[in-house]
Amino acid sequence: MAAEIALPRANATTARRGAIGDVLFRYLTFLFALLVLLILGGVIVALVDGALPALRTFGISFLVSDVWNPVTEKFGALAPIYGTLVTSAIAMLVGIPVAFGVAVFITEICPIWLKRPLATMIELLAAIPSIIYGIWGLFVFAPFVQQYIQPSLIASLGQVPGFGALFAGPPLGIGVLTAGFILAIMVLPFISSIMRDVFETVPAILKESAYGLGATRSEVVRQIVLPYTRIGVVGGIMLGLGRALGETMAVTFVIGNAHRISVSILQPGTTISASLANEFTEAVGDLYLSSLIALGLILFVITFVVLAIAKLMLLRLQQRAGN
Amino acid sequence: MSIYSRRRIADSVVTGLSIAATAFGLLWLVLVLGTLLENGIAAITPALFSRMTPPPGSAGGLLNAIFGSVVMTLIATLVGTPTGILAGTFLAEYSRGSRFGEAVRFINDILLSAPSIIVGLFVYEIMVVRMGHFSAWAGAVALAIIVIPVVVRTTEDMLNLVPNTLREAAAALGSPKWKVIVMVSYRAAIQGMVTGVMLAVARIAGETAPLLFTALNNQFWSTNLNAPMANLPVVIFQFAMSPYADWQVLAWGGALLITLTVLCLNIGARALAAWSTFKQ
Amino acid sequence: MSPTQAAARLAMPPEQDVRVPEPMLRQKAVIRNVDFFYDNFQALKNISLPLHDKRVTAFIGPSGCGKSTLLRIMNRIYELYPGQRATGEVLVDGENILAPGLDLNLLRAKIGMVFQKPTPFPMSIYDNIAFGIRLYEKLTRSELDDRVEAALRRAALWDEVRDKLRQSGLGLSGGQQQRLCIARAIAVEPEILLLDEPASALDPLSTQRIEELIAELKEDYCIAIVTHNMQQAARSSDYTAFMYLGELIEFDETERIFTHPGQKQTEDYITGRFG
Repeated sequence: MAAEIALPRANATTARRGAIGDVLFRYLTFLFALLVLLILGGVIVALVDGALPALRTFGISFLVSDVWNPVTEKFGALAPIYGTLVTSAIAMLVGIPVAFGVAVFITEICPIWLKRPLATMIELLAAIPSIIYGIWGLFVFAPFVQQYIQPSLIASLGQVPGFGALFAGPPLGIGVLTAGFILAIMVLPFISSIMRDVFETVPAILKESAYGLGATRSEVVRQIVLPYTRIGVVGGIMLGLGRALGETMAVTFVIGNAHRISVSILQPGTTISASLANEFTEAVGDLYLSSLIALGLILFVITFVVLAIAKLMLLRLQQRAGN
Repeated sequence: MSIYSRRRIADSVVTGLSIAATAFGLLWLVLVLGTLLENGIAAITPALFSRMTPPPGSAGGLLNAIFGSVVMTLIATLVGTPTGILAGTFLAEYSRGSRFGEAVRFINDILLSAPSIIVGLFVYEIMVVRMGHFSAWAGAVALAIIVIPVVVRTTEDMLNLVPNTLREAAAALGSPKWKVIVMVSYRAAIQGMVTGVMLAVARIAGETAPLLFTALNNQFWSTNLNAPMANLPVVIFQFAMSPYADWQVLAWGGALLITLTVLCLNIGARALAAWSTFKQ
Repeated sequence: MSPTQAAARLAMPPEQDVRVPEPMLRQKAVIRNVDFFYDNFQALKNISLPLHDKRVTAFIGPSGCGKSTLLRIMNRIYELYPGQRATGEVLVDGENILAPGLDLNLLRAKIGMVFQKPTPFPMSIYDNIAFGIRLYEKLTRSELDDRVEAALRRAALWDEVRDKLRQSGLGLSGGQQQRLCIARAIAVEPEILLLDEPASALDPLSTQRIEELIAELKEDYCIAIVTHNMQQAARSSDYTAFMYLGELIEFDETERIFTHPGQKQTEDYITGRFG
């Protein structure tokens, strides 16, 4: 019991009620904060639980087999994993340079009055839901790719011996390349926005010293801004990668949903999320279902690792900027 | 060529590439929105809002899907927002440097960017399997799990912006801590918190994957939350992938509706944020 | 309290030569052997001095001398932050407010504080004033109205805001906001008022009004004011404490400090030899 000071108007009951209110509120907020951890824990437990039958049946061969046969009930994750990695790789290859260019333009080159509206517009790219990209990709972009991009790729890079195998095959429009490209458009606003934030942490005085010595803009960016923000830039890239790995609807529409691994990126394939989206509700049989959940578990592990690394890098940069 | 002219050329190249990259990014925005408008506008008829999703080959509307989306989004927001606010309050007000707080923050940010299809799988396992059937409740829960990390983040960020002197002034009057938070800190941060909720709603308005194995879909009008319920994203998925022209038109219409909603919420949230910083 | 008791309360170490005038003058609070630590850094060293009721006691000294820290001990506002702690005693009406187990909220309702930067709450002017009152008292609407008006009158703000009580406190000018904060603090009818550089963020005209206000308020409250403005201290206070590097160098009636300071350091500071 707290000792009370003699007070003409305020009374001890109100004070005690306030103290109880404090304890209650503190525990209430604590409980809900705990819930966040519990959700993650629940996800891990639920996924592992659902994937166990498949993992027990196939063991480690699940990760390296590309067989996917619902009839014989033989499943292997290699094709979806491969597709996930390749589409994400394409997304990064195209998206990172573009995001970088956008970030440099907005932070260093464009006039002040244009910064906000331009940044907003690029961020709207991120706001557009995945399914919109999917339906656009299927009806607009894929035909375009089929008519113009793929034939020219086949005709040019496809003729290069060895390397040309990447661009072999009939132009179908849908496929790994199309999916990767749409992913690039989807992740570029994320990467660009983090790069922008990170570029802005460079102290103005550092840049001004370089400009004062007569450095050109590109030199300041390459030799001052980039080294200073290196960790943050990598963190942003990894965040974009995390998004690309988990993207579902846009990819599902245009990847073709073929459980096979082809060397050519012009061919259809599948990703983990696309397989899940397409097959989950139709899956008959416990092993089929369990294999799909196992795919989900693999995706979760991959994205968790990537996102965790991204977060750690961004934290490190924040600490440095704070100092 | 002198060193200097080489440097200047390099600089122009970089500048040129940056401008090209920006134009490239904007090009896609214009293209996507443009074709969306072009294809979707044909479907915007009164019938869209008054008739149900039709069987293949006949005309109809999206009323049941719109209703389902609105209902599930609403429930998800009502469930996820207070949860997120309270958790975010804990992080901002009670967890100064504690290990637990850091862990929650870290995990929250991962959940923020986690694939939404995983959330769908999770809710499938804990609700659909348990209940034995798909349901709108499961769909709403899946959406709520996506709302929570967004609201936690914005709440924490906004509360951290409230100056400590304000808290001290309230405490100096003899106010218990919870009143300082609820009556002063929340009030000071309210605009930012509302913005966060708007952005969260914009996010779930277009989410398909979490609904795929929770609420599933329903061809007919239904208000039964304990059964599969139609919703715009899954309907678009089904109709767009189909070979039927009628269905495809409806899919574009639905896509346009979702995009308009999402863009309005996004731009509205930004406007609110800009207005509040302008006020101060 | 008898004069002998008063003298006994003021058990000062002999180095600090302090005279207590007017034996009947009541000491509202006595700070005794107080140390303060920010983690391992000692910010206050063995501070002892009295605060007289219905008088203004000013704390002066260069930046970092600990005067604000000392003020913040009086309402234990430092307890909002881990790692900060105080030892020693602060007796208010004979009771040690640094004792553990004390209800801090009740303490702060009795000892009010106004901060350097005006901090109106994000609510209407009326609600700003009513906030503190509502914490502890159940009043009818008209009673509350009266209290709000009384506080605003006391703070010389009533005439300027009587027509816009429902408007946000943030819409007032800096000087008005600070008077709002003063009104807010006195609305709960504290017995001691702590003012932490209340006018330092204000323009000269507003500063003058605040100083006039303080002169009026001291009729009813025991006031402790921290200021880096020596002229303000000389004008407005009855007693002055000069602090340097966490120690109390000299405490005396203001007139004596500014005309015949006992310590060389005090004299150096007052004459501007260091700041």
